[in-house]
Amino acid sequence: MAEYKRYRCTTCGTEYDEAKGWPEEGIPPGTRFADLPDDWICPVCGTDKRFYEEIVD
Amino acid sequence: MSEPRIPTELVAPIFNPATFSNPDRVHDIFRTLRRDYPLAVAEVPGYDPHWIVTRYADLREITRQDNLFHGGDRSKTLISQAGEALVKQFTGGQSNIFRSLVQLDPPEHGAYRSVLAPSFMPDKMLAFKDNIRTVARDYVERLAAFGGSCDFATDIAFRYPAQIILDLVGVPRADHEKMLDLTHWLFSYADPDLKRPGSNPADPEEITKTWNIVFNEFKEYYEPIIAARRANPTSDIASLVANGKVFGHEMEERAMISYFVIISTAGHDTTSATTASGMWVLAENPDLLARLKAEPALIPGFVEETIRWASPVQQFVRSAVEDYELRGQTIRKGDLVYLSYTSANRDEEVFENPYVFDPTRSPNRHIGFGYGAHICLGQHLARLEMKTLWEELIPRLAAVEMAGPRKHTESEFVSGPKSVPIRFRLQ
Repeated sequence: MAEYKRYRCTTCGTEYDEAKGWPEEGIPPGTRFADLPDDWICPVCGTDKRFYEEIVD
Repeated sequence: MSEPRIPTELVAPIFNPATFSNPDRVHDIFRTLRRDYPLAVAEVPGYDPHWIVTRYADLREITRQDNLFHGGDRSKTLISQAGEALVKQFTGGQSNIFRSLVQLDPPEHGAYRSVLAPSFMPDKMLAFKDNIRTVARDYVERLAAFGGSCDFATDIAFRYPAQIILDLVGVPRADHEKMLDLTHWLFSYADPDLKRPGSNPADPEEITKTWNIVFNEFKEYYEPIIAARRANPTSDIASLVANGKVFGHEMEERAMISYFVIISTAGHDTTSATTASGMWVLAENPDLLARLKAEPALIPGFVEETIRWASPVQQFVRSAVEDYELRGQTIRKGDLVYLSYTSANRDEEVFENPYVFDPTRSPNRHIGFGYGAHICLGQHLARLEMKTLWEELIPRLAAVEMAGPRKHTESEFVSGPKSVPIRFRLQ
């Protein structure tokens, strides 16, 4: 299985970690960023999903 | 207009800076508005009509659509008709004295924001942590030096976040007091204790006159710094802004000066107000202090709740770019919408027991830092500053109580505690 990745909102800096998901938003751990709905928005600032960028360590 | 109207006697006080010296009254007004007029029009003499947006969901819906609700076509903050006319006179036809990130619309806003945004992302805060802790410890020592009583707002909260951000900008310490004064003139143009000497709050044009003076003061101050940083860039924020490129070109002059204005004022004033609010809450709730001392892990939640609780930014105003349906009403193209952050952060539809201070509130999705593309650029820095100060102070704070009445700033724009007299004992 491919490693989980992390993504960051380019507006507010909020991170989405595929390993953790976002349970309080109804997104279970292990949910791939690509599998989030296209109309998903940053829970903190409302930025569109397309403005999240992958974090490359 | 056939839209629902708010009785003038109910809504007019929120157009008056003096009302905000009494936060309980402000909350009473908005509680009534949320219940009876959640989205309705205010017609207050001397002002254009405004839709008053009181509900959290509505505010978020509007503020995440910068393409549909502009901040720069009209004044971004509440202003009288006379004041707005004078702005156009001072600026050659623009609607705002300042052209900072606050007032800019897409695509300019994104281009200007990207000049500093990378420097304020969460991972960049690591580089600031040690210095912030050093400054926080210094301020705890300063508090100790007061010997058991002080005005926490003016003696500590006004100064701590200002020192941190102004150091980062590259402003010499000797000039920090001047920056604090200009900040107060800007955000508290009508407050009898903080306003610009000589200003006349009864003058409907006063906000414009004061803001124009503030702009020119900052322009005079920063122009030599901009020139110096262009000639010899350093690692400070002033260098980043002075050499920042927007669409491949230098920044437009008013926008560049405004960039420095916003960092030098909004970069600390709301954090000051929130920090002062936190001490006020602790001084009135000894059980809360005891709990935080016993459970330091609650401090981040305490900080988050102080941000919701304080909500220092009272309002921003936007204008509709086209007709828009919201809550069963039609906001017409060109209509003004007054966004109440104070109201949204007490919205009963979102926050359980919104008038209860709860450091364990989770999730705490307040919009004290705003929402959408204009969300506060410095939010992570502000959180770090407050978390660090409380981590240093709370373990040593054996007891604290109010030593007199707190006072709030008379400002319909940014309002928070301007005086928090306390008696305290440090360990």
